Amino acid sequence: MDLGALGVYTCLFMGLYFEVFLLISFFEKRPSKKSDAVPRRFPTVSIIVPCYNEERTIAATVQSLLALEYPKKKLDIVVVDDGSTDGTRTIAERFAKKYPQVRYFYKENGGKYTALNFGIEASHGDIVGCLDADSFVAQDALVESVKYLEQDPSIMALTPVMNVYRPRNLLEHMQAVEYIFGVFFKKMFDNLASISVLPGPFSLYRREVFRRVGIFRRAHNTEDMEIAFRMHAHGLKIANAHTAYVHTTVPKTLRTLLTQRARWSQGYLQNSMDYKYMYGNPRFGHFGTFTLPFGLAAFAAGLYIAGYVLYNVVATLWTRAFTLWATGIPLHFPSLSIEWFFINTSMMLFLTVAIFFMTMTAIILGARIAGVRLHAKSLAIYFMLFGFVAPLWLSRAVWNTARVRESVWR
Amino acid sequence: MKDWSKYILAFIITAAMFLTAFYLTNTINNARLADIRSVQEQIAIDLLSSETQFELLGNLDCSIIAQNPILSEELNSLAERLSFAENNLNPKNSDVERLKKQYALLEIKDYLLMEQISKKCGTKPVSVLYFYSNQGDCADCSRAGDVLTYLRQEYPSLRVYSFDYNLDLGALQTLISLRKVKADLPAFIINNRAPVYGFKNLDEMQTLIPELKDLATSTVETKL
Repeated sequence: MDLGALGVYTCLFMGLYFEVFLLISFFEKRPSKKSDAVPRRFPTVSIIVPCYNEERTIAATVQSLLALEYPKKKLDIVVVDDGSTDGTRTIAERFAKKYPQVRYFYKENGGKYTALNFGIEASHGDIVGCLDADSFVAQDALVESVKYLEQDPSIMALTPVMNVYRPRNLLEHMQAVEYIFGVFFKKMFDNLASISVLPGPFSLYRREVFRRVGIFRRAHNTEDMEIAFRMHAHGLKIANAHTAYVHTTVPKTLRTLLTQRARWSQGYLQNSMDYKYMYGNPRFGHFGTFTLPFGLAAFAAGLYIAGYVLYNVVATLWTRAFTLWATGIPLHFPSLSIEWFFINTSMMLFLTVAIFFMTMTAIILGARIAGVRLHAKSLAIYFMLFGFVAPLWLSRAVWNTARVRESVWR
Repeated sequence: MKDWSKYILAFIITAAMFLTAFYLTNTINNARLADIRSVQEQIAIDLLSSETQFELLGNLDCSIIAQNPILSEELNSLAERLSFAENNLNPKNSDVERLKKQYALLEIKDYLLMEQISKKCGTKPVSVLYFYSNQGDCADCSRAGDVLTYLRQEYPSLRVYSFDYNLDLGALQTLISLRKVKADLPAFIINNRAPVYGFKNLDEMQTLIPELKDLATSTVETKL
């Protein structure tokens, strides 16, 4: 076996191990179903909506917050405009005038984390939430989240279930399945008490979190990831509210998708360096011994396999083209034999098929948790596209990290 | 479940999946080798039958002989299987090595029988003895093989006998020394003429085998 293939087998082993580990976690503690119970008391909640040039979606975002099934007096909506130059201000001010629950603040542009910190200072709710201005919450999302906080006082922060809002083009369909896959991951990481990111769309914090660990930091433009790392470093519990749904819009073009994902991936690498002492450290539980090392390994494995496949495809095409040129044989399709003898039955193929089925299982379980229907079209697009697109942002993130170049938001 | 036991359980399940994949691959590869063996046995029986038929009839009835000893299709199929096995299994696999030797012997026997029939019955088969090496010392061998494979597809009655020059087989080494084939590979003996060395592209090979013009192509088939 050549070294290249040995590397692929190592990646396949890690991939399988990772999925097996998560599936064991699933069967160990299956997610509960949504209940009709209501919280005994409703804590005051402040939802911060940081925005920058979001005139297309800000109205729908605020509307979805106003439609939340939650006592109006207990809900405070804080729109923090991070220096928008489009019509965001006009729209948000209209809401603030019409609805006393909505407060609007305009500040100089300083980055998302500054808008969030501004909102934390300007708000007073026991629970602080944030909602990106391109996302919309389900009506019962807040009540569902509050139930988790009430049931387990040790939970310090919560993440919801995120779905893609009305996917239309190929990339959106691909991301729709990816997000469903993510639902499974998020719940399993919850079982392992090792959720590694508190995403912008409707993550909630107890206010004391900021007292204990501090406010948001710039954190390589991934403040939602860094604060999760920091909370783990301080032994604070993060959970997943799998019955609280939020819908989010996703990048529609390859360029914006790559920019967004390269930022996330680069943030993961750079935050990993900042928190390297947590890697493999059992003091931080599964987060230190499983989530962080496997996250980095998955990063490397994704790049390695993509490089291996690319090298082999290019080498094969080059050899074929050179052979045709050197031999003078006219271009023709090789005769395809349908005999069983010539079917590829390599060990690598069997293992790839095993990974495929386990991935499918995780996606199906994720769809069940998220309560969404899986479409064959989206699945086909995901399996055809993801392997080509993901290595692009991974390699861009590595390149930018190596050059010590800051990621960009858009 | 204790934390450490989950890590170990996941490792055991993953290792079991790897072992299952290994077992499946191994079982299918063994079935492949068994298939090659059975094809070889069939060819050996057919060859023996043809030889016996030839002995019995001598040159009394060439029409009957000419109908039967055409084993090129079976040998081609066997060659394809062996080539696949050689590329996809460990080339140093002792089973593959043994099967290659048997294949080389069958090729030599078929070649000799064809020579005899040709002399006695006046048939004019077109044959190429092709000597290659797959020990990494013959960069052109793979391309030379492609040219011959293409010609064989184009001219189904062209008889190509390919031999691994380095195969440790007495009969093959005798053939090599009788035909004075040097280790300057790839080497070709076309219709018993002197060996030709070096890579030849399609046009050059067609020029070296003028008899191809008289052979039927894959679209129009005529008798030898």
